Order: sequence, then structure tokens, then C-alpha cells
Amino acid sequence: MGVLAKAFDFMTSAANYHGQGGIPTRLWEHVQMSLLSLGIATIIALPVGLLVGHRRRGGFFAITVGNLGRALPSFGILAIVFPLTLRYLHVGSLGFVATLITLILLAIPPIMLNTFVGTREVDRDTIEAARGMGLSGTQILMRVELPLAAPLIVAGLRTAATAVVATATLGALVSWGGLGRFIVDGLAQGDKGQLVAGAVLVASLAVVTEAMFALLQRAISPRTTGSPRRHIRKLIRRPGWGM
Amino acid sequence: MRIFRRSVLGATLVAFVVLATACASGGDNNTKGAAGSSSGTKPSLTVGVSAAFPENQIVAEMYAQVLENAGYKVTTQEDIQSREVSDPALDSGKIDIKPEYLASELLFLDPNAKASGDPQNNADLLKPLLAQKGLDLLTPSAAQDQNAFVTTSDLASKDNLSTVSDLASVASGLTLGGPPECPKRPYCAIGLKKTYGVTFGDFKALSSGTLVAQALQSGDIDVGLLFSTDPTISADNFVLLQDDKGLQSAENITPVVRHDVDTSEVADLLNGVSATLTTDNITGLIAKVALQHQDPAAVAKLFLQDNGLL
Repeated sequence: MGVLAKAFDFMTSAANYHGQGGIPTRLWEHVQMSLLSLGIATIIALPVGLLVGHRRRGGFFAITVGNLGRALPSFGILAIVFPLTLRYLHVGSLGFVATLITLILLAIPPIMLNTFVGTREVDRDTIEAARGMGLSGTQILMRVELPLAAPLIVAGLRTAATAVVATATLGALVSWGGLGRFIVDGLAQGDKGQLVAGAVLVASLAVVTEAMFALLQRAISPRTTGSPRRHIRKLIRRPGWGM
Repeated sequence: MRIFRRSVLGATLVAFVVLATACASGGDNNTKGAAGSSSGTKPSLTVGVSAAFPENQIVAEMYAQVLENAGYKVTTQEDIQSREVSDPALDSGKIDIKPEYLASELLFLDPNAKASGDPQNNADLLKPLLAQKGLDLLTPSAAQDQNAFVTTSDLASKDNLSTVSDLASVASGLTLGGPPECPKRPYCAIGLKKTYGVTFGDFKALSSGTLVAQALQSGDIDVGLLFSTDPTISADNFVLLQDDKGLQSAENITPVVRHDVDTSEVADLLNGVSATLTTDNITGLIAKVALQHQDPAAVAKLFLQDNGLL
């Protein structure tokens, strides 16, 4: 029997759809871990990126940190973080915190870089116009720069989310669950069906994630095809702007 | 926006180059130049090791160094995952020589084989199975490394544990930690149930002995599967549970060589290494690597020099 047939058997066998080691449990663990790490990374990276972009200072720092962060191998981080969490941050199931920290560190750079670049690249004339209309620094950040940078920020989230979904598989090496369990156990036990099924499930989840963020990205992109200035005029024309 | 695109492109390129460099320098293969350049006709040999742990690495280094000393060009390929990956690598000629453990390899090739505590019995059973695949089993060394169930000294005194049999009454409330293949292995979960009637409440898959030891210390697992020569057992005051019903079989370290490259010279060199190895001296060498963080190659070299093999 071919490997793909074995993988198909694994994915269609009723025995693999219940219990701790079942596909639904592992998939849910994987999704939870991905959402949690992405959420925490956003809480950290978004304000930093916005602030640095808004001030238009410290850009070199942001880009350097972002790029260095992207070059760090997640596997290495996990190997270093795991024993440390056992000693100092001993909460949750075995391997959970170590995997979470690894994924947060993976997700921060793309979100921070895109937020920074998106905010910095907002047209200066648009900001001048907003300032001329009496908006304060915070108002400009929240009502002009953030909405205009939003498509890029979502693009950063999209990159981070796909990477997180793919990399969460590493958690299985330190005893955590998720879909990586099938890949690591399948490899160790010589069970190719399980291995390939795991890989297919992770790839599918990554594709679904990618598609959902693509939709989100389209939904929040400004529909104007003209300059950002026309967009700001539209924003300002809305009622309730205190004008 | 164009500026942004360019900067992202630049950033991506920089990240990619850094990654590529990291990957290029992080590889595990290291080709060593032939030490004795007198003979150009000797073949290149690759020594491969399943899942890199100090013992495997030290023995592989010994094989590599004696061959290199005799003029072969030797490559070492460390950490080829479990036997499911390393055995096909040997069959297909991707690697030529592998240090093996008698009973584990025997039961891997034939799960129903009558492995016992007698090394000769295991070697006799293993030889024909390897021969079918074009592989030779050389002379087993006296060095044994068995799978061993260990627990912390605290738990051992609390539950009065000294043998694996003692686990039977308490195991349902305990967690076992071991390699991910443990649930499917006769020497691990399957044998525990069959031979001892021991079934643990939970199992945690940990991909290396170091992780097992760390999880034992932190209390995340109660019992762990480690190698009996693992120096952390004495360093961390773990208690090795006696295998009172003889689940584990003779696991003498023995070279397996592809028949195509198994000349009498290669066999003599590798058997020479086997002749010097004992459980005690390999345990001492492992401690040097695992606890004192010495280089496996340097530890192997010193040992070979002390024993007149280099």
C-alpha cells in the first residue's frame, strides 16, 4: 500500500476521531496554541510598531530587531526555552509554555515590521492635512495612521499566522500535543501513514489560515483607487468627528 | 508604497541570506581528510548513527578514527533519527557502518524473535536477518547498554520502588516519559504490559534522554526510560529499577557493516575497537561528554590512543 493510501486510511479511520490522541483534539490544540501565540505577539508587536512608525524614529532599530528575530531558528529557541520553563515557569501541560514562547518570538518580527513600515509610509501630506484640521498626535495615530496602515498590518499578521501554524508542530518534540504529534510519533514509530496524515493536516490548516487572512485583508483594504488623501477626506467626512 | 516594497524586499533578502548561511554552517556532516594519504584506492566510508546521543557518537567516532588512521576517507553522519530511518539508510548504501545494539536491532527486524539476556544468542539470531539485506554483523563488544526504567529517589522511597515489578500497583497513577516510539516497542510500553502487567496512567513523548531527565527532575513524569549507561542517573540521584523479570535483553554494542565494503581489514579494525569496549569504560566516556561537555571526537581519540589503537 502506498504512503498516500496509508495516510488516507489514517485520516478516515474512525478510531482516530476520538480521545486525547484523536485528530479533532490535536487539531483544536493546534488552533488554540496558534491563536494564543498570535494574540500575545500582536499585543506586544502592534503598539511597538505603531509607536516607532508614528514617531518616524528608531526605524533602523525596529528593522534590525525584526530581521534578527526572523533569522532565529525556532527549534533552537525551543531547545533553550524548554528546560528553563521546567525550572522557572512551570505551568500548563508539559511543553506548553515552551512552545508558546517559541511561537510568540516567531510571530513578533513580521507583525512589528509590517506595522512599523505601514505606519511610517502613510503619506506625509495626509498627516499634515489631519494636523491642520486640528487632530492631536494620538488622534492622528488612531484615526489616520492606523486605518491607513491596516492592510499592511493584516499582511504581517497573515505571514505570522502561517508561520505559527507550520511551526507549532515543533511542540511535539517537547511532549506538547498539536498536529505535530502525528508527525513526530509517525517518524519515530515508522508509521508513514500517520506521518504523512500529520503533514497533510498541518499544510491544510496553514492554507485555510492563509485564505482567511487574505479575505480579511481584502475586507479592510480601502476601496478607493486614488491617493490616500482622498481616503482621508472620506474618513473625515464621516459624522461624529468633532468638527 | 514603492519604497515600502523595496525595503521589505531588502529585509527579506537579508533574512534569507542570514538563514541560508546559518543552514550551510549548521550541517551535521563533516568530511575528514584521509589521515594516511598513502593509499588512494581505499573506498570512502560513511559511519552513521541513529539518534545522536553521546554513547553512539563516541563509538561512531572510534570507528571513524581507526578507519581514517588506516587510510580510508571517512564521513560521519550523526543523528539519523530512529531505526526506521537509519536502517534504510544502511540498506541503500547512504551509510556503510553503524554501531548497533544486539537485541534492539533484532527485535526491530523481527518483533517475534527470541531475544534473551545472552549476547551470543542474540547475535546468532540477528546475523541471518542482516545477511538478507546485505549487511554483516561483526564481533559484539562486551559493552552493554540496556533500556532502563528510572525514577527519582523521592518517589522510589515514597512508593518503596526498587524493581520494575514494584510499579504494578502504583503505575496507574503515574506518568511514564520516553521516546515517541515507546508505546509501540516491546522493550517499552508493550513489554511493560505483557511481562510485568504494568500500565501507566499517562505517557509523555520526549525526544531525547536529556529531556527525559529534565522532566523527571521537574516532576512532569514519574518514571522515565533512559539508557543504563546514562550518566545523569547517578548525577541526578535517580533510582534504576531492577529489571527483575528480564524484559530487557543483551544489548552489546556491535558494528554493522555493509557487506560490499566489509573487507577483512575493515572488520579487523572495527573488531579491534569492540575488543576494548566494556560497560564500565563506555559509561566513563559518556560522562565526559554529557556532564563535562567534552568533544566526543576528542574523548574517542584519547581512549583509542590509551588503548594503542591509534
